[in-house]
Amino acid sequence: MSEDKARLQAIVERDATHECAGFGAQKLCVRAVAVADLPTRFGDFRIVAFWNNRDGKEHVAIVHGDVVDHEDVPMRIHSECLTGDALGSVRCDCRDQLEAALTRLGEAERGLVLYLRQEGRGIGLLNKIRAYSLQDGGLDTVDANLALGFRDDERDYAIAAHMLTSLQVRSVRLMTNNPNKLRQLEGYGVKVNGRVPHLIAPNEHNRFYLETKGKRSGHYIDFKGRTRLPEQDDTVQVEGMPDVADVSS
Amino acid sequence: MDNTEVDVLIVGAGVAGLSCARALVAAGKSVRVLDRARGVGGRCATRRVDGQPVDHGVAFLHGDDPEFLELLGAVPSARVDGWPVVIEGAGTACQPRAFQAHEQRVAYVDGVNAFARFLAHDLDVRLETNVTRVVSAGSTLAVEAQQAGVDNRFSARDVVLALAGPQTLGLLNALPASPQRDGACALLAMLPSVACLTVIAAYAPEDAPHWHMVYPESSQVLQLIAHDSSKRVSPKHTLLVLQARPAWSQTHLHDDSGDWAAEILRDAARVVGPWAGHPLSHQAHRWSHARVGPESELAGPLVLHVNDGCRVGLVGELFAPGGGVQAAWRSGQMLARRLRSEVEP
Repeated sequence: MSEDKARLQAIVERDATHECAGFGAQKLCVRAVAVADLPTRFGDFRIVAFWNNRDGKEHVAIVHGDVVDHEDVPMRIHSECLTGDALGSVRCDCRDQLEAALTRLGEAERGLVLYLRQEGRGIGLLNKIRAYSLQDGGLDTVDANLALGFRDDERDYAIAAHMLTSLQVRSVRLMTNNPNKLRQLEGYGVKVNGRVPHLIAPNEHNRFYLETKGKRSGHYIDFKGRTRLPEQDDTVQVEGMPDVADVSS
Repeated sequence: MDNTEVDVLIVGAGVAGLSCARALVAAGKSVRVLDRARGVGGRCATRRVDGQPVDHGVAFLHGDDPEFLELLGAVPSARVDGWPVVIEGAGTACQPRAFQAHEQRVAYVDGVNAFARFLAHDLDVRLETNVTRVVSAGSTLAVEAQQAGVDNRFSARDVVLALAGPQTLGLLNALPASPQRDGACALLAMLPSVACLTVIAAYAPEDAPHWHMVYPESSQVLQLIAHDSSKRVSPKHTLLVLQARPAWSQTHLHDDSGDWAAEILRDAARVVGPWAGHPLSHQAHRWSHARVGPESELAGPLVLHVNDGCRVGLVGELFAPGGGVQAAWRSGQMLARRLRSEVEP
């Protein structure tokens, strides 16, 4: 077993009896349960599966290179999106964002994606399909947050922070276009040494982002006239767009 | 009657409305809560039968959120931890998650309504105030209500609807059309609520069964039989609460209550024994909007921007994951945070 995998394996063994006061108001606690090799078309990774004490969601860390006890580890938080990630839907940018992150991290010396199993930012698959259905019904200007319901992002950051702590990552560089996300992670004691803009390559499905006229009342309207629902907790940045960091929420 | 304008009017003094009210008051807002009933709590309801409390809505509270559990512990009533402990039948509970290992279950000797009364403490709550319309009135929202047959009108910049989905839908219809309102109406129309026909039945003390709760496996009629008096200290009567299944309740919702109550009692006799079919007395209660289906939970509360910065917030069991009283409470907390963060970024 390679040294870096042995370090992850040691974390799994240590976590077998892990108990702590928990992170955040929800007192959220996670344990690394298993680690395995995960060769992908984007590079060689390892996958670490986590259990948590709040729900049955099985979150994973997708790790490239040696991250344990390292500083400045590039890191991306991705929310599960069945339709985009697995089915290649172009109603969202999730697949593009995930591929861009894995490709970039796979080429780097080290890095990790925290893949949180909270479909559509935690609204659940049923509600995401409901939101799509509302849009199909002609409510294409409906405020995305309205259709989906407002949710607390607090839990995501508590989970992410605990996963990073479990993996003994000393500091991260967060791949995000939203500087607020840095502060939220730091609020849980994660050392964030800066932000890496998260750029996705332009393609026929996301080119509308590059056209400023596509932006209406704060939402991007795609070629079919539908509002893009914010399924990832981050603003999209396609290569060629002006930096959105200053205007994001 | 003091109808001075407040920052936030909340329609519905159930757990969601009270939770939101408390969080807003704690943040320095002036808040008034309106409810058509004679008491607070909504479905977190306790009646008295010959002085003995009986929970005819929610039978017990359960949750896993540390803040919520802490609050449950602060209620000034003796607790019955873990109730129901003795459970018979292999049928499903209304909320199977209540029996997962990480969930805690609590009942109160004074009835589950003690929790709602505790939340309502020191709040400005106007009871027997039936809200009929919410309309835009220039720079404020006007809430029209009937109090003992007399029309009354309240106003505030923000209004929170803390009702069952179909009731919320009814009030949204009077607001001016907008993409947001239309979207919310379309969304709520997708999310039906579930009815529950309920019978409270009294028996002789010596008829007390050994179980706390029965979830019948084979019944098409009954969802549960709660041995309510097992939550009380030296109860005078044996009281059972019989709650019918959603589909059966929906079918008989508009029938004569004498007819459906008799049928529920017949089924109880079949499920737990002939004695249960012949109570000393019984009363019927019709919950038209008893709960939301597990498939109908939204991720969080909604906020509609109406006019001139006025907002209508929507909370309730529907508007937080997990269902039940905890979801209602959490939706209220989440909305209060959101109403504040939009004003004070």
